[in-house]
Amino acid sequence: MRFSPFIDGLWKNNGVFKQVLGTCPTLAVTTSVKNGLGMGLATTFVLICSNAVISMIKNIVPSKVRIPVFIVIIASFVTIVDLIMNAYLHDLHKVLGLFIPLIVVNCIILGRAESFASKNSVFSSILDGFGIGLGFTLALTILGSLREILGNGSIIGINIFGGSYSPAIVMILPPGAFIGLGFIMFMIAYFEKRKKN
Amino acid sequence: MEYILLFISASIVNNFVLSRFLGICPFIGVSKKLDTSIGMSLAVIFVMGVAGIVTWIIQYGILNPLNLGYLQTIIFILVIAALVQFVEMVIEKTSPALYSSLGIFLPLITTNCAVLGSAILNIQNNFSFVKMLIFTIGSAFGFALSLTIFAGIRERIELSDIPFYFRGLPITLITAGILSLAFMGFSGLVK
Amino acid sequence: MKNNLNLIYIPAIVSAIAAFLLAFTFSSTKEKIEEAYRQEMLKALNIVLPKHNNKPDQEKVELEGKEVYIAKEDGSLVGFAIKSKSSKGYSGDIDILVGIDKSGKVSGVEILKHAETPGLGSKIETDSFKNSFKGLGKSDKIMVKKDGGIIDQFSGATISPRAVCEAVTEAVRFINDKVITNSKISGGGK
Repeated sequence: MRFSPFIDGLWKNNGVFKQVLGTCPTLAVTTSVKNGLGMGLATTFVLICSNAVISMIKNIVPSKVRIPVFIVIIASFVTIVDLIMNAYLHDLHKVLGLFIPLIVVNCIILGRAESFASKNSVFSSILDGFGIGLGFTLALTILGSLREILGNGSIIGINIFGGSYSPAIVMILPPGAFIGLGFIMFMIAYFEKRKKN
Repeated sequence: MEYILLFISASIVNNFVLSRFLGICPFIGVSKKLDTSIGMSLAVIFVMGVAGIVTWIIQYGILNPLNLGYLQTIIFILVIAALVQFVEMVIEKTSPALYSSLGIFLPLITTNCAVLGSAILNIQNNFSFVKMLIFTIGSAFGFALSLTIFAGIRERIELSDIPFYFRGLPITLITAGILSLAFMGFSGLVK
Repeated sequence: MKNNLNLIYIPAIVSAIAAFLLAFTFSSTKEKIEEAYRQEMLKALNIVLPKHNNKPDQEKVELEGKEVYIAKEDGSLVGFAIKSKSSKGYSGDIDILVGIDKSGKVSGVEILKHAETPGLGSKIETDSFKNSFKGLGKSDKIMVKKDGGIIDQFSGATISPRAVCEAVTEAVRFINDKVITNSKISGGGK
């Protein structure tokens, strides 16, 4: 299967739901769908680029200095995303704020560089980056929708319940992030374990 | 007084883990046992303190005068990575006992976003050197506090009878949510 | 030996390429970023100021360390805008921009930065709250109703609107007492 890295990345190796990596941005920026989506796509871009470059140079980088070199590559792409978003998506950049430079320490990215891109071909590394990135985006969007619907009574900024609904504000506050993700994890465990039994 | 308030604000009111969402990975990852979480906390306090000082000096001594602000992310993460390596080596040579208890946590700290996060926040908030020190120590202390409390809670969760599908991560996250709810009670404490 | 050299020059080459790439991106986005910040400010200015056709962010004067933005319609003065700040927000400072017309009454309020609780204190961002300041002047009680004023607070959140009121009051006072009476800025006999 040529495209299997992409499909695996989307769900089987999903960074947030399956490997519990990158939880900081997942919890922090998902107060609305838009923020979750923006953060997810920014991370996807960095993942694809860093995976591509790292798989290209995997044979010439001595393994002793592997990690610093990977970090330099990832940090460069993060800075590029940071600058471009600031220039063209200024409002979103303002909301995501600190968490854009922090894409550098998103364990998913370094994790994929170590475990996938440094062992596989450029093509499958790009596919892997794409899949993992979209999987991450998917996770952020799901949590973002859940929190926006319950905590703000709206989705993508459009009010869906009408005026009389009073939203559960706690869902867009910090505790709501933990509780929301907790319940999503419960749902996943529920369906997967039931399928097995 | 201002400094005391800054300390309280950084450590409790705007707790790094529970309200800013920095350093969640180790918070979930190494909070299963009380003593490992104390070890991790000490290592983070140490690295965060040193990283705060070094990055502050680099920012104001090198990056700002040379107008290289856009290199901030890349330089800071390299400094932290180098620092972690260095600390690891020094501790290994000088105190094998400390190394055997902290050693395994040290490499993990490079990708702990609390360290890079506090270094960047120091700069974003235009802190003076003294304020930077207090903010960094306060945040590190807050990280240690929430990690230790959480480890204590998790040790008890291990012993309780939890609905099957909630075992493991789901209950951990929901517990963290409730702890975060408790910490929200502090908001508004510092004006 | 060759391997040892590799340890040095590979990271060096990677860093050099990275630095070059970043410098290039930085220089090509620099103007755009500055423009984005300018547009952001201009957008807020256009909301708070009365109808004008100059560029208020370029026509600003400094008075007692504060920047006063001046709006003009066909060359004649129509209003001012000033940044104001309250440190009494629920969590952190609240930065606002207040527009005031030439008679000294509020023409608009915009929240620039705040860290209030989402869903409670953050309601200061709603239009209905911001519009409740319109037309108020120095003699009006710009305070929340709880404190005997005329501005509605929200259920569950009094502190954030109170902080905004304080910042608006300060801006109104400053413009009325220092700017409108200052003939150099308001154009004297014009």
